[in-house]
Amino acid sequence: MKKLLALSIAAALSICSVQADTKLVIKGSDTLGAKLVPQLAEAYKSSHPGISFSIAAEGSTTGIAAIIDGTADIGMASRRAFPAEVSAALANGRSLKPTIVAYDGIAVIVNAANSVSKLSKKQIEGIFTGEIKDWSEVGGKPGAISIYTRNTSSGTYSDFKGMAMSKKDYAGTAQKMAGNEEIASEVGKNANGVGYVGMAYLKASGVKAVAVDGVTPSISTVQNHSYPISRSTFYYTNGEPSGEAKAFLDYTIGSAGQKIVEEVGFAPLK
Amino acid sequence: MAEPTQIRRLDQRPLKEAISTRGRSIIPGLTKDDVIKYFFGANAWISIVVLGLIMLSLYSQSIGFDPAEGFFGQNYRNLLVYRQAGLEFVDIIKKETSDLGQLSDYLSAVRLHELKRLLAEGKSAGKSEDQSLAEANTTLAAYDDYIGKLSSLGEGLDGIASNLSDTATATKEAIKEVQDKKAEKRLYLRSGKKDLADKVTYQEVDLTAAVQPFKAALPSLHDANAKFSADLANFLNQPPPALDAEMKSRLADFESRLRILIASIPAYQNQLETWNPNQPLPWYMGIVDFFFHTNWLTASAWQDYYGVVPLLVGSTLISIVALAIAVPLGVGAGIYINQIATPWEQNIVKPAIEFISAIPSVVLGFFGVAVLGEFLIQLSRWGLLPHFEQRLNILTAGILLAFMAVPTIFTLTEDAINNVPRAFKEASYALGANRLQTIWRIILPASLSGVISAVLLGFGRVIGETMVVLLCAGNSISIPPMSKGLMILFQPVHTMTGIIAQELGEAENGSIEWRALFMVGLLLFIISLIINFLAQRMVHRFKISIG
Repeated sequence: MKKLLALSIAAALSICSVQADTKLVIKGSDTLGAKLVPQLAEAYKSSHPGISFSIAAEGSTTGIAAIIDGTADIGMASRRAFPAEVSAALANGRSLKPTIVAYDGIAVIVNAANSVSKLSKKQIEGIFTGEIKDWSEVGGKPGAISIYTRNTSSGTYSDFKGMAMSKKDYAGTAQKMAGNEEIASEVGKNANGVGYVGMAYLKASGVKAVAVDGVTPSISTVQNHSYPISRSTFYYTNGEPSGEAKAFLDYTIGSAGQKIVEEVGFAPLK
Repeated sequence: MAEPTQIRRLDQRPLKEAISTRGRSIIPGLTKDDVIKYFFGANAWISIVVLGLIMLSLYSQSIGFDPAEGFFGQNYRNLLVYRQAGLEFVDIIKKETSDLGQLSDYLSAVRLHELKRLLAEGKSAGKSEDQSLAEANTTLAAYDDYIGKLSSLGEGLDGIASNLSDTATATKEAIKEVQDKKAEKRLYLRSGKKDLADKVTYQEVDLTAAVQPFKAALPSLHDANAKFSADLANFLNQPPPALDAEMKSRLADFESRLRILIASIPAYQNQLETWNPNQPLPWYMGIVDFFFHTNWLTASAWQDYYGVVPLLVGSTLISIVALAIAVPLGVGAGIYINQIATPWEQNIVKPAIEFISAIPSVVLGFFGVAVLGEFLIQLSRWGLLPHFEQRLNILTAGILLAFMAVPTIFTLTEDAINNVPRAFKEASYALGANRLQTIWRIILPASLSGVISAVLLGFGRVIGETMVVLLCAGNSISIPPMSKGLMILFQPVHTMTGIIAQELGEAENGSIEWRALFMVGLLLFIISLIINFLAQRMVHRFKISIG
């Protein structure tokens, strides 16, 4: 769905390019490309007429590969380039230059009435893989844990597996919800519920975020990397960015861009 | 005397005659009459053609015309790679450690029981819940150590498994890449682009070399298993820190379970040693796996499974609940409105029930999440329903679907009763039967075939519904444990329609997941077809001869 949305936005944007002078090609991560970058592009276009965007969000690997092959101006990525990718770029006479544009943190939430307020990363893995089945096993009141996750078409579904579950599979009993809002509302109603949401959804009623390895998720703990279920997101460019790519990058990390970053649910740089 | 044709009114003329009075041909060789006949005929047949095209496309997207490219072929390769890349080997070790996990689950269950007892004790002693929880956890600390010690015994095996899974995954990725390249090449060749096809190069994965690490790991696995066995035997000598007699009696089973686990270790070791990556996989496994595998797992970093059983079970359970509610309501209402109700009631109730079918299912879905689910939870808090916490479950979805099926069952039942000749009823009254006896003994049996087909069509309505189950059934892939008896109603399930709606958006066109989803669609289509066929046959069965 996300991909479809990004592609259709990309298509819509490329139609606009008929009269545009310059076109910025952005490829890569669907974490960034689904919502954040298209919104940034929209806002940027209104202040910079004559520029058009082509955005394709098909995963971080495609973004980095596009910089290596020189088929994009900016590669979006939710991970750093692997050593093999760095050397492949050098072999092509290019260099991969990452710039952090936003931080992404996923909060683990439980019902507000749950007596558990902190979990270790290992316990979170155990809960979501189904090895830990009852809240009493992690120091809470007795009650069979109900797991709520995103569904497979969400990038967060696999991101969370990578960040918090050592890539293991979710328990079969996990209930797959369409969005953050649904997870928050089910956990808010279910005294034994547990789920995960983006930072922007912590205000939902009836839920509380648990501290992971002793750190409470907040914009500041995500920014200083002390919260374990978080990561940086990057724009990759070929060497130092220049021209329109630099202008758009500066816009993204500037105050106007970072405001959009925060609205979309990422943690801004500062 | 006038000829009969002359006194016929104009509107009573046969259609053919009415049209042909001005019959001049607009298409050479066809009269206007013919043109109109073919036009209406085509309209009637076009739906059948469309039906055929739908079946054809479902078939081509799922099973496919090329057996190697279709779902069963892809699934067969999926399973073959699972074996060749050594994932099967690693899963043997994982199975062994998961047996240990089940043993600690058993200990945890006893702990839970004990904790509940301690909490209840604390409550009767007038302590606060948090205080008694903290005290109980302190009391159970020694027991927690005991569980922790048991779980840690599997670490040696886990370590080896984790190393080998990296190897297996890497081989699997390499095989996948070659398969993708081959597919790309075939595609180019098929569209005649030979130059592009020549550019696609790949190197077959050396399967013999790829499985070397597994063979090489056998000695260390042997040692790890020996140690595992010895550690477990040692563990037997440490008595569990039982708190009281009841807990002790609950743990009595533990020793024998542990002994069973120890006894099973040589079998696992033997399985590992005799594991053969080249053992041929029977050709029908791709099909068998789809119909009998109990897991549907996609986007896994380890192994994807496409088993339809959990979806089929989910859809069936929800349908049973829905029909159990809708049949008495729909049939009862149909009988009442047709036989007993006053005309005034008929004018209110009939349009109202028929209006239900006009409610968009997404609206009902929202109602289910926000109101019905919440209401059922409230009932359970008041003690009117057993205790449960997940408001998205079989019952919530079933009740809503029942609501959607009632209009279908009601309308068709009423039609069926309407078709019972009036003479039956009058004869029954003449023999002295009262109204209830007449309905029960005469009207209902006479319309039974119609009622059964009404129920079947209601079933078809229920099993094909998507939006409500997507929003309200909970979408959890595990099959609810039948051992829970009626409590199964409060478990979340996934459904055939729900999985298509949820996953088709992400599936790549032509990929195995895409085809698997079409397979589910095809199955759903066939089920609906059978239901409708049965319903049509039913109408002509069990009929008390009328006339």
